[in-house]
Amino acid sequence: MNEPVLKIENLTKTFTLGKRKIQPLSNLDLEVKRGEFTAIMGPSGSGKTTLLNLIGCMDKPTDGRIVIDNMDIARLPESQLCKIRRDKIGFIFQNFNLLPYLNARENVELAMELAGKFKEQRKQRAKDLLATVGLSGREQHRPQHLSQGEQQRVAIARALANDPVLILADEPTGNLDAANKQEIVKLLADLNQKQGATILIVTHDEKVAAHTRRMLFLKDGKIIDEKQGSKSSPS
Amino acid sequence: MGILTRASRNIARRKARALLLIVVLSLALAVITSLPPNIIANQQGNQGLIDQMLGAIQSSSERLNLTATQIDCNLGLQFLHNQGPYKNVTMMVTPFLNISDYANLTSIPEIADVIPMLLYWQPDEENFYFNFTYNGYTYRGFMYIWGIPLEASYLEKFPSVIPTTDTWTFSTKENITAGRNLEAGDRGVVVLQEFIANYFNASVGDTVNILGQNFTVVGIQGTGRYPQYFDIYMNLEDAQKITNTTGQASKLLVFADKVENVDTVENKIKEQYPERLEVTTNKAIINQALENKAEWEKNLQNTQAAVDNLKNTAIMEMGLVVVAQVAIMLFVMLYAVRERTREIGTLKAMGASNSTILGQFMLEGIILSLIAGIIGVVIGTVGASAIGNLLIPRPTDVGFEISVGGQDVAILAMTMPEFILAGLGIAVALGALGSLYPAWRAAKIRPAEAMRHE
Ligand SMILES: Nc1ncnc2c1ncn2[C@@H]1O[C@H](COP(=O)(O)OP(=O)(O)OP(=O)(O)O)[C@@H](O)[C@H]1O
Ligand SMILES: [Mg+2]
Repeated sequence: MNEPVLKIENLTKTFTLGKRKIQPLSNLDLEVKRGEFTAIMGPSGSGKTTLLNLIGCMDKPTDGRIVIDNMDIARLPESQLCKIRRDKIGFIFQNFNLLPYLNARENVELAMELAGKFKEQRKQRAKDLLATVGLSGREQHRPQHLSQGEQQRVAIARALANDPVLILADEPTGNLDAANKQEIVKLLADLNQKQGATILIVTHDEKVAAHTRRMLFLKDGKIIDEKQGSKSSPS
Repeated sequence: MGILTRASRNIARRKARALLLIVVLSLALAVITSLPPNIIANQQGNQGLIDQMLGAIQSSSERLNLTATQIDCNLGLQFLHNQGPYKNVTMMVTPFLNISDYANLTSIPEIADVIPMLLYWQPDEENFYFNFTYNGYTYRGFMYIWGIPLEASYLEKFPSVIPTTDTWTFSTKENITAGRNLEAGDRGVVVLQEFIANYFNASVGDTVNILGQNFTVVGIQGTGRYPQYFDIYMNLEDAQKITNTTGQASKLLVFADKVENVDTVENKIKEQYPERLEVTTNKAIINQALENKAEWEKNLQNTQAAVDNLKNTAIMEMGLVVVAQVAIMLFVMLYAVRERTREIGTLKAMGASNSTILGQFMLEGIILSLIAGIIGVVIGTVGASAIGNLLIPRPTDVGFEISVGGQDVAILAMTMPEFILAGLGIAVALGALGSLYPAWRAAKIRPAEAMRHE
């Protein structure tokens, strides 16, 4: 019944820098089920971002299989990958990466416009999503007029825009102060609980990870430890 | 926020840079739009000069054709002293010859035609003198009576036998200012030099009495300046009749059958009539005409070279400006792509396809270029002649006033919508060309790399 949204087998990624080879991921296996809220932890340089990039179709694996929503994406060409990013993945970045020349609503709408949604539908859904992340009334503000926490909320709304099967958040709280960090983690936990969003979050922060239901550790290119979080959301 | 909104907002985001780029590009496009009208105007402006030169070459050639085979035969000049009212003046006349004495000329095979001509005047007869006023002064002049054989066969072959200017044998210019020239078969009619017409108070259609005989005036010959001769032209037979010179002529115009035979004919005539006949070929005239022709051909070449040079300079400058424009666009857009690598990564993360990215960057280049194009077309149209004067050097070594720039250019640039449309078209094309590579680079950026970019 709870089938995997993401299934990774034997994933290897090797970077070649001149003569030097770096292999942050080697023969990594991972499965994420629909509705899971998973944290990936690990020291700097352990390959967390590399893993998210591969899952998010931002990069291609050297070897192995990545199955998203029953589709093996490992060997797909860029022309297909961009559609998967658009329709199945929602990205949340450490430094928000909102487009500075678009206001909050337009940033959210852009994701839907790229997916070819109609204008009226887009506009309404963008408003709704901004309301969901607590930004009603701030639709017209450009990123530079929003606080960092607010910017990350816009980014979350944007990630949700096309109803992705998987939300990938790479240190989403890394640039935030304690209060905002708390807010954002709560928001993500809420989305997971109330809307059943499947979220994969990379973090250094134990406190952030504590909000998730499953904690993975990445070391030497593999997932070495797996802790199941409590079923109930910690306060 | 469609692709157009994104492109234009991105431009608006970096106002100073966009403005600077637009200023530079619009100047470049002003040059590109203003040089073609300059090229066209220069060519049109100098076409008149070229046509004039072609005309001069043409008439030199015609003159060559008409007079090259002509050989004058007369009895030589005689000097008359102390005769008539001008007793203290020495005058020159050619004695009359009997045409029948030279009937044998036609037996020389290289001779095509022999045409007798009569030039009659009497220095000791008062009625060959008349008074005329020129520039407020009164002068005294002699009338000359020309008898010309008005036979169709001569006139067809040698139109120059109708003398209508002071250097009658050499000229084909008609200078008939009223009425017509003499024609084949004309009898009892005259063409009067204008001073003589004034003296007789006669205009076309009037009757004048010359040496006791009435003639109808069919044409007036103008000189446009102080004349050397005062001529009355009529049929040879009429002239012979009124001057009692029937069967006589002042000279015989001998025509060789071709230019190469002129020397042969000259020698044969001299052999046949060694005693008195003075033979003059048109060698000097031929040489002069050849020289003139060569001179005009050289002028024409220089002029055409100068005009071509203007055009080539303009085209080269346009080429340079086009290259510069594309290069500027290329570097600015490449810089923009580098600078916005993360943005490109973000767009890709959101699912933008490579062609969307390509389109957005190209569109930015095209919009910038089009704005510059609109401004450039305005500057280029209004300032066409100024830009032309600035960029197209006035040639100095032609020896002629070559037309460069000026009013024509401005009018041409303003009144031809083609220039405006072409200017805008070029702006769009160069914008697309200049941003193509940067946009392609942007599209090809690998998303993971883009996100690592600082
Ligand atoms: N495109 C690349 N080319 C070369 N090496 C790379 C590339 N991307 C990542 N790496 C290397 O791979 C290793 C893993 O990098 P990655 O960014 O995945 O680590 P991380 O776990 O996300 O670290 P951090 O916690 O600092 O973000 C690092 O040694 C990094 O230098
Ligand atoms: Mg990282």
